[in-house]
Amino acid sequence: MVTIDLKDLSTREANEGIREAAARGDTVEVLNPDARHHIGVGVIHAVDIHVRGSAGYFCAGLTDTPRFHIERNAGWGLADNMYRGSVVVGGNAGAIAGVAIRGAEVVIRGNMGSRAGQVMKKGTLLCCGNANFMAGYMMYGGRMIILGESGERLGEDMTGGEIFLGGDLVSLGSDAMVTDIAEDEIDDIRAFLDRYEVPFRGSFRKIVNAGKKLRYGTPERQVRSIPYFNFSGDSDYWNHKVQEDVYIKSQIGRYRVRGYGGARELPHLADLAFARDIVPGAVGEDPVSRVRMHTLIGGKNGAKPLDLTMPVLIAPMSYGALSRSAKQAVAIASGMAGIAENTGEGGMSDAQRDAAGQLIFQMLGGRLGWNIHDMNRADGLEIYISQGAKPGFGGQLMAKKVTKELAEIRGIPAGIDLRSPSRHPDILGADDLVIKVEELREATGYRLPVSVKLGAGRIHDDIKIAVKDGFDFVELDGMQGSTGAGGAEVMEYVGIPTISAICEAERALASIGRRQDIEIVLMGGLRDGVDAVKAMCLGADAVALGTAAIIAGGCIACMQCHVGQCVTGIATQDPDHEKRYKPEIEAQHIYTFLESVRWQIAAITCGLGYDDVRGPCRDDLVALTPEAAEITGLPLCPERRNAGLPEIDAAMERALR
Amino acid sequence: MCGIAGILLKNGDSGIDTGPALIDMLDGCQHRGPDSTGFALYESGEEGQLKLRFHVGSDNEAGGAIASLKQVFDEHGARIIEEERIAGSYRVVVRFRGDLQKFSYAVEHAAKVVSIGESLEIVKDVGGAHDVDDTYDVHLFRGSHGLGHVRLATESDVKPEASHPFWATGFADVAIVHNGQITNYWKMRRRLERRGFAFATDNDSELIAVYLADKMNQGIPLKDSLASSIDDMDGTFSFLVSTRDEIGYAKDRLAAKPMIMFENDDLIAIASEEVSLNRLFPGRALDTREPPPGSYRTWSRSI
Repeated sequence: MVTIDLKDLSTREANEGIREAAARGDTVEVLNPDARHHIGVGVIHAVDIHVRGSAGYFCAGLTDTPRFHIERNAGWGLADNMYRGSVVVGGNAGAIAGVAIRGAEVVIRGNMGSRAGQVMKKGTLLCCGNANFMAGYMMYGGRMIILGESGERLGEDMTGGEIFLGGDLVSLGSDAMVTDIAEDEIDDIRAFLDRYEVPFRGSFRKIVNAGKKLRYGTPERQVRSIPYFNFSGDSDYWNHKVQEDVYIKSQIGRYRVRGYGGARELPHLADLAFARDIVPGAVGEDPVSRVRMHTLIGGKNGAKPLDLTMPVLIAPMSYGALSRSAKQAVAIASGMAGIAENTGEGGMSDAQRDAAGQLIFQMLGGRLGWNIHDMNRADGLEIYISQGAKPGFGGQLMAKKVTKELAEIRGIPAGIDLRSPSRHPDILGADDLVIKVEELREATGYRLPVSVKLGAGRIHDDIKIAVKDGFDFVELDGMQGSTGAGGAEVMEYVGIPTISAICEAERALASIGRRQDIEIVLMGGLRDGVDAVKAMCLGADAVALGTAAIIAGGCIACMQCHVGQCVTGIATQDPDHEKRYKPEIEAQHIYTFLESVRWQIAAITCGLGYDDVRGPCRDDLVALTPEAAEITGLPLCPERRNAGLPEIDAAMERALR
Repeated sequence: MCGIAGILLKNGDSGIDTGPALIDMLDGCQHRGPDSTGFALYESGEEGQLKLRFHVGSDNEAGGAIASLKQVFDEHGARIIEEERIAGSYRVVVRFRGDLQKFSYAVEHAAKVVSIGESLEIVKDVGGAHDVDDTYDVHLFRGSHGLGHVRLATESDVKPEASHPFWATGFADVAIVHNGQITNYWKMRRRLERRGFAFATDNDSELIAVYLADKMNQGIPLKDSLASSIDDMDGTFSFLVSTRDEIGYAKDRLAAKPMIMFENDDLIAIASEEVSLNRLFPGRALDTREPPPGSYRTWSRSI
């Protein structure tokens, strides 16, 4: 038995000690826990851990196989995301007990707080006392047993799983219903109660999902896609797209769902130009070798930073929205180019991990595919708050794409129209967020950078929270960003443009004197190296490309990503469609495109007279439109509209020859 | 975006003092709000005397503010008994027997009021619990009860006057600490403004304080005022309120903001997180309770 006394240790030291002991197979005893947070997070060995007192937030969180015994109470987020193993709490547990568990057995001998078992997927959560408000909220699977009172709105918006209630039912939540209970289910429960020595001889009621909200009522009729340029830009007011929208809404009676980003004209990087002509000859031969492009991102607080050969990352895109093959191609290309790839929402695959040199693992509110083992093999962790294409909304994955295999990885029922939660169960404010960030750091021994993905809305406030909560960097996403599926109106009208996002972020950080404490990766409709340099002139430390990389890898921009029948095999989970996609070949295309981005960044940097990508600054930019000038505060110089970059074009031509 | 704490000593036998206890409790949850820290402290005062605290800023600015304040004191017949300047603040005790609301609105025009009360004194500034204690000697307070707050500034600036606790502008001895966000703030505020109440800030926590003080002024007990606040306020909130003789809490129906309490024969302590409560009893597993959604309660000190 190894004794860890929290009286003398920081939580970080204690957790290192607990993990080391667990790795040796030793039983651990934690003294003087005094309700401190994050006790025992990240343990992945099957040992007994005795907490002699009360634990704080996220005790036993992000673990697999340990057996925790907590003498008295546990704070919010007990056993967060625990895979296998068990936790027994002698007293009460706070809110969101058993959040996102995926197989663990959680036993609470007292009462539990609100929203217990939120987004849980597998395993058993037993509360011997009373549950509270919205127990089983958005649960996807597994079993919840409540011996006392249910609390209000039991099973609110549960998608799957079962709730067995021994006490009074206060009220049922939306889309939950009472159903018949089978004899063998009762036997199973009794066996479970006996195993944990819980004496209870009462009867049970069973609550399950009522199935009214799992699919959209009327499916959207498929239409021949209208090319992007036919309805964006200077098209007629009642153009084909508008007519199509009205027609389809007359059939389905709701908002439309589609892929890609907004089609509305908005101020963008194209409304900015470089302030002066690039002198002929300034670029010269092989600018890439003459410009320092090596970039480190994420090392501000002592973590091992992402090590990038240029200030470019791949934007987060999920396995789910994209096929496994498409994700693989992007990962291979990112590895070849020496930049970082991002898992997006749907978990991490071995192929993706192996192909990507550096991989950021993204955590979303549904915790779909999130787990400690993949965290440990990631190069960065990212908390998704929102994305530029649809700030404030969760992901959407239509039933066609929610295949058995995909559902398995995400831990959800197959064949539902998946509307991912728009918010995290355990992040209801900046104060909770800081504890969450710390949990991720504790669980991975402070090795990995932790970033936050922010869809640009109230960036002036949000970026201040990001820096105050200690994130290493922020992935800032403007409203020109794309998505695999989103409400059409949301994509067009919610959020702020990418250039507004970066300018607001810069001003907000300057106003509190904290710009140097966080790095910004800007994304949201960036198309090439020219956009990248402009973004960096406005202050970005690096940029991320999503749609551009997908197009490089064969996407035809038909905007039907949500349907699941992508002819190119990119945005589909249908094996017949996916087999058309050749990951190795497309990886080469994506890589070649990334190299063109590298060349452009280098050439423009060089042409502007710098030998380092961190050189170009606001002085090198002007605005071409009054709107862009207003947003950026850059001088309005419409006469630069036709200046173009002839020297860059010429040099590129020479390079290609 | 913050952490809150409150304590009420039922008798003098606990071996715990309010000042040091609140410092410990707030230090325990400082991670919830590193920008600023504040305390609402109650020590019995003299009948007919008011303790006033102001933010006056530094040097020249302070001199001007204090001069204007003294003019208002003169105009309202408030006689200074003691005064002192601590960092950017000014503390003064006056003898006053007039209309408190009129008087407080008048001083509000002369300088930024932090608190006014016979027994209440609010101390708040940027920095952590120990930083504020270093400047204001919070640990010397020995009163019967008090509240505390740590703040992470999100929408408003990091300034002492934007920190909590909030005093119920115009009402003696009412203070509040709040974690959450009142989403029908402007509607509620306009309703109160139409009835002649003034607000010193745009902070939603001040609204709760004025709302409750107004109810109590109408003779409604604190407990019932808390009950109606849960119906009237939209949004997410866990808040603590204190008056000369009572503390109480209210929690929204969505249970989105944490709150946990511990009670024994000697005291009642409430905080955002159990880790704060455990600071009062190191090494002990406490029998704590989480208040249910939509609940409220009050405790009185023995007088």
